[in-house]
Amino acid sequence: MSSHQTVNIVMIEDDEGHARLIEKNIRRAGVNNPIRHFLEGTGALQYLFDAPDGPARNGPALVLLDLNLPDMSGIDILQRMKAKDSPLKRTPVVVLTTTDDKVEIERCYDLGANVYITKPVNYETFAQAIRQLGLFLSVIQVPDPDMD
Amino acid sequence: MMTRQRRANRVIFLAVAAGFVMLAVAALAVVWTFMRSQDYAELVSHTIEVEASVADLNRLVERIEASRRGYLLEGDSRFLEVFEKTAADIPVQIDRIAGLTADNPSQMERLDHFRDLTRQYLELLRNSIVDKQAGGTGVRGASLLDEEDITVVQELRDISDAMALEERRLLVAREAEANGSVYLSTAVAIAAAILLIVVAAGTIWATRRTLRALTSIGVQLQELNDDLESAVVERTSELQRANAEIQRFAYIVSHDLRSPLVNVMGFTAELDAAIKPLNELIDKAEEVAPEIVSEETKFAVREDLPEAIGFIRTSTEKMDRLINAILRLSREGRRVLAPEAVDMNALVEGIVDSLQHRIDELGVTVETEPVPTVVSDRLAVEQIVSNLVENAIKYLKRDRPGRITIRGKKASGRVLVEVEDNGRGIDPKDHERIFDLFRRSGSQDQPGEGIGLAHVRALAYRLGGTITCESVLDQGAIFRLSLPMALAPQQGVNT
Repeated sequence: MSSHQTVNIVMIEDDEGHARLIEKNIRRAGVNNPIRHFLEGTGALQYLFDAPDGPARNGPALVLLDLNLPDMSGIDILQRMKAKDSPLKRTPVVVLTTTDDKVEIERCYDLGANVYITKPVNYETFAQAIRQLGLFLSVIQVPDPDMD
Repeated sequence: MMTRQRRANRVIFLAVAAGFVMLAVAALAVVWTFMRSQDYAELVSHTIEVEASVADLNRLVERIEASRRGYLLEGDSRFLEVFEKTAADIPVQIDRIAGLTADNPSQMERLDHFRDLTRQYLELLRNSIVDKQAGGTGVRGASLLDEEDITVVQELRDISDAMALEERRLLVAREAEANGSVYLSTAVAIAAAILLIVVAAGTIWATRRTLRALTSIGVQLQELNDDLESAVVERTSELQRANAEIQRFAYIVSHDLRSPLVNVMGFTAELDAAIKPLNELIDKAEEVAPEIVSEETKFAVREDLPEAIGFIRTSTEKMDRLINAILRLSREGRRVLAPEAVDMNALVEGIVDSLQHRIDELGVTVETEPVPTVVSDRLAVEQIVSNLVENAIKYLKRDRPGRITIRGKKASGRVLVEVEDNGRGIDPKDHERIFDLFRRSGSQDQPGEGIGLAHVRALAYRLGGTITCESVLDQGAIFRLSLPMALAPQQGVNT
């Protein structure tokens, strides 16, 4: 992790239960970074690109992205973030969703997703996966956003 | 439309037939006319012949008179020669005329009269000659012009004139008759020709009309055919769309069902985890201050909570399996089939090999007979057959050694694959039901959700095949998979 600035975790997840479970398990893995949770895509995009304390203007971030959102597809957000002139094109995106459709997975990686995780229905597996993700988050290096 | 056409056809046929009849009538009329004119010519020549004969007869009568007269006047015996010769010729001539006019009674009558008169006349003449020879004058009266003579001669002339006249009259009458019939037959021929022309024109018109109608019907048929084809294409694409819609629906529903399930299971796990500290708390409280721990609290934490959580867990797990099954079915429906030549013998062998462990464990005898090669989607066929064989192994009867037979044959452009077992069998009332999703038959002593056969049937249908079951309870079962020999390559129905 960046030495001078803490990495914000932005979680875009429309299911509050899932969000809570994910947060709990990340915490259990010992990750204490601040987590910002958004229930829908519009607010999340605004925060990501325009908010003064958002990742585009302020500090490194890591995005946990669900694909099934009420107002848009997570893929739209991924596309916006990974666009050529986006300030967030280097920000790591972890797609965390229920879909295990091959085509969908390929599409996400093609668009520049860094990790794609299918939410296991079995809770034990789910909790374990999230905890491992937490461990992963605690060791990865996240670049500062492009300020140009 | 059809009856009208049929009536028109019949009319055309009748018209053509009538045309030919007309043609025959015209030809007959012409022949008849020709024959008539031939007849007429014969009649004319006949009349002329009769006239000529009568004239000859007259000449003979005159000659005999002249020769007699000569003899009477000159007494030369040469006249007598001529007389005798002519007297012999006259009956011959009369017979000739009789032969010619044998068909005419009035002429015959006249001829008879003539014959009698001639005989009488000859008698008279002979008498006069005999008288002369005897030395007399041979003349009874003052001159040669004896009254009786003259009367007879006059009568003879009258008769011969009458006969000639009669022949002429007959000729005229016959001519008129012949002309009349010629006119009639000409009229018939002309009428037949006109009718023929009319019929021909009508037939040509009707035929042209029919041909035109046929052409237009052909065009219509072509159009209908095209319409039908496009309708089939349209329906097919509609069906494909509807099918894709259902698949997508199932996919979305099962996906969206999964999401809350994660919560239910997740928080159930959280609850389960929370029981542990609660239990510890109660243990501690019992130890430190037992009076604050009621039986109710203890029961709630130690019995009620774990039980409730256990039920929630098994139910959600079951629901998860069901959702996964739907998801799998819908995903299977979305997969694009890739037809290829599938060596069914190798495929069956592979399936048996993969189940060998279970087969050995249960001591089952598996017999495989040759199965014809089929062009189809390998994965789908494999799933179907393997499902059937698995079921056969799964539902054997415990009290008798298992025996499973897999065989195949070609039947009218299709390949039939049979999986037969001697297991517990299926109640006939359940033969359809077992192919429904989540439905099972018999005692529920084996794990499973009632998905396998539904999946098998869905796959069989997608491959253009059918699957049926024949079984008697406790007598084993035969599952028959019928597949088309070759599955047509399909366009993707992905949406």
